[in-house]
Amino acid sequence: TLTDLNDYITPSQACIKPVEQVNPSRAVESGAAATEIRIDSNGSYYEVSKGLAQQTQKLQQAEISLNDCLACSGCITSAESILITLQSHTEVLNFLEHNPSRLVPGHRIPVLSIAPQSLASLAASLASSSGQPSVPLADVLSRVRAFATECLGFDHVYDTTFARHLSLLEHIREFQERQDEDGHRLPMLASACPGWVCYAEKTHSEMLPFISQTKSPQAIMGTLVKGWMAHKWGKRPEDIYHITVMPCYDKKLEASRPDFFDEASNTRDVDCVLTTGEFVLLIKEKNFDLSVPVPPSPTLPSDLPDLLVHLGTSSGSYLHAIISHLIRSSPTPLTLSTASAEATSKQNADSTEYVLTAPDGSTVFRGATCYGFRNLQNVVRRVARDAGIRVIRGRPTVVSKRGASQKAYDYVEVMACPGGCVNGGGQLPRSTTAHIDTSGTLADDGDGGMGSKWADRAWTREVERAYWDGREPVGDRFGLLTPPASPKRKATQIAERSNAHADQLALLVLSDMCNVSVSRWGEEMDAQGEERRRKLFRTSYHAVESEVIGLGVKW
Amino acid sequence: MKEDLPCTLVPVASLSGHEDRAWGVAWNPVKSLLSTCSADKTIRIYTYTSTPSPSFTLLASVPTGHTKTVRGIAWSPSGTSLASASFDSNIGVFQREVDEDEGNVGAGEWECVSMLEGHETECKSVAWSAEGNLLASCSRDKTVWVWEALPDGDFECMGVLMEHTQDVKCVAWHPTEEILASGSYDDTIKLYLDDPSEDWFCFQTLTGHTSTVWSIAWSPCGRYLASASDDRTIRIWKRVEEHKWACVHVLDGAHERTIYAVSWGPKPDNAGARTLGWLASAGGDGRINVWELEIEEDAEENSPPRHRLLARLEGAHSVSDVNGIVWCPREGYRSLLASVGDDGEARIWRISPSG
Repeated sequence: TLTDLNDYITPSQACIKPVEQVNPSRAVESGAAATEIRIDSNGSYYEVSKGLAQQTQKLQQAEISLNDCLACSGCITSAESILITLQSHTEVLNFLEHNPSRLVPGHRIPVLSIAPQSLASLAASLASSSGQPSVPLADVLSRVRAFATECLGFDHVYDTTFARHLSLLEHIREFQERQDEDGHRLPMLASACPGWVCYAEKTHSEMLPFISQTKSPQAIMGTLVKGWMAHKWGKRPEDIYHITVMPCYDKKLEASRPDFFDEASNTRDVDCVLTTGEFVLLIKEKNFDLSVPVPPSPTLPSDLPDLLVHLGTSSGSYLHAIISHLIRSSPTPLTLSTASAEATSKQNADSTEYVLTAPDGSTVFRGATCYGFRNLQNVVRRVARDAGIRVIRGRPTVVSKRGASQKAYDYVEVMACPGGCVNGGGQLPRSTTAHIDTSGTLADDGDGGMGSKWADRAWTREVERAYWDGREPVGDRFGLLTPPASPKRKATQIAERSNAHADQLALLVLSDMCNVSVSRWGEEMDAQGEERRRKLFRTSYHAVESEVIGLGVKW
Repeated sequence: MKEDLPCTLVPVASLSGHEDRAWGVAWNPVKSLLSTCSADKTIRIYTYTSTPSPSFTLLASVPTGHTKTVRGIAWSPSGTSLASASFDSNIGVFQREVDEDEGNVGAGEWECVSMLEGHETECKSVAWSAEGNLLASCSRDKTVWVWEALPDGDFECMGVLMEHTQDVKCVAWHPTEEILASGSYDDTIKLYLDDPSEDWFCFQTLTGHTSTVWSIAWSPCGRYLASASDDRTIRIWKRVEEHKWACVHVLDGAHERTIYAVSWGPKPDNAGARTLGWLASAGGDGRINVWELEIEEDAEENSPPRHRLLARLEGAHSVSDVNGIVWCPREGYRSLLASVGDDGEARIWRISPSG
């Protein structure tokens, strides 16, 4: 609903937009106003300085970009910022309307990339409103493709799973690098969630060295589309208009980071982000019926593979990719065990520990998933404490007397939303009517907090089920340990087969983009190649300095 | 206008020393310790002798490490930890260093064993659950946090409740069950429970006050809740079903200004099966009121408890607002009441029969 689209990060009370002082301070007569502000008939503001030489200076209108506001959500409440961003679908329509035709200079090739969690949300919504048990993701993707190409005029439609494949490869490599160092940059924390990244930049900058510098799947998709694909099509980055469909609003923030803006071509890697809900508004506006089956379109050989499966979590399997890698590359067989990550025995689906042990009983790896704001708090505190960081402002105080030099975790998959990305703030709510409903009005079942809570959680499970597309989760999360029984084994085998193909394509991409020839993703390249690789697949973070001047009011 | 009330509040002690307004006061439930907190960023801890007229001595002035006002304090049920809520947005937890040689817990310095970060703006109140394993905090950031105390002195965040639409002023735990209540600038009181497989959640919102709810207090029996508001009324809520509370009474006209604090203690010697205890209130008019609340004989379901004004004191802190008021929970000391005010002082009163 409109009222709960807050991505689970609480709004801050202070606007973080820094105010620049342009004028040097002038000596002021005590008691007298230093300047006078006049407004002319056009509504422009002028500053008139007092004194003998009356100078009039037109004042520049202060601007706060949407980017600033999404980062802060202070003066603008969640509801209002959502109302602003809900207009993104009109932005896309505007672009398409004004895009010069194909042969005219200035034409930009429209490309659409959709996240698998968004596809899952559409699938679950379609299934629920039509009464079907499920709709395969491949069908949803075909229909989305039909809509985007036939109705909107998009040239290419992809899902972001291949980009995620690259992200996971680079992610593993980065983890290996950090392990090979003295471990001072461990635990490594997942970087794919912009809600988490923005919160860390703003409130917990001491966490930034621990956050993985590997780009998220969306960011890599941007690099792929505007870099690798553009090159293959014989186009420049500015000749492409790239939009993505994502499960949350914070991905808009990620897309507008200066790090993902290419100065050379003066374009963003991702030009516009639509949430799943906004995408549906687009569909409705064009009167397209997503419930009608569409024959699968043949995928061109030059295109990216569709719907790659990465077993693990529905938020992207970052932790599981590392666990799989460690199991595969270990000289001895490792045992995986899972447990609740809570210190108490309380069960928490959003906070689970994974431990890999060697045959001699020693712990090889300790990882965890950590979803939701309150679990995030505990991760932050644990990491800071293990690293010996005093997060206490003011007088040095005695922190708990643990002599622990052993870190709690080697890796934590952190996501801001409880339930992970399938429960992102921009996903579709439970549909109450026959059509996909984005009006956001959830019927109040009248039992106050309890009834709708269960319903919401049940809906998230529906979307999660749609995400896994017919695969059943097995106790230790998709058979990393023991090979599952036959039907599931087939699924795993199929997954492994397509991922082998993806691995090969990944190497091709890497070779093309870095101008070197490699036989393994993790292979060391020459200095130039490494630098290019860093620029393409890694990013960096910036702590936000906020000047919070407490109000002088006594309370 | 002097009324003939059955009791008077007899001054027992007047404790000065805070260099700025005193915001909160708390009696250690087990030991002879009283603590106060202030805008001067310190916590003062006093020790006192036994009744009938205890004398109070300063034990320590603790420089808490908070960089702003200490707005609220609470002793854990075991009496070993003291939690503080500060405008610097942190929650402090303090314990007395145990002198290993002497084994005497009374000897050491007060040290901060944990400083809980997380709230984004000023913290207003902190409270320990009845068993002492949970700590609740609330803040101007509109959230209520529930922390669990871990064995090594650390705390783990168990829930971040974002139900209120405005500044949350107070939190209080039910005397026996793990039910949490919070009062807010949004004029409501919210009640929370823990869902064992998931998270803490709000199961009811109590509406009725027409302005900020500054303070809440559970009855000793746990069947009632009292709330004090800027609308100058005290509301009494009753548990009508397992997880449903309803307003059964409004105490109006007892204060001329905002009521900042309420405290509900058991009646000393607990005489009378129908007694619900003694309710004390204090506020911006400088007045302290004490009522006795009782269940009516042959009372109908949900009829209001009978209330009788026992005592009234004007100008408890002369012309200053009274910010906090608390009954002493210890057996044998239950007729003692502590108040703190904008004058920076803590005052101890004893309720005695008049005449």
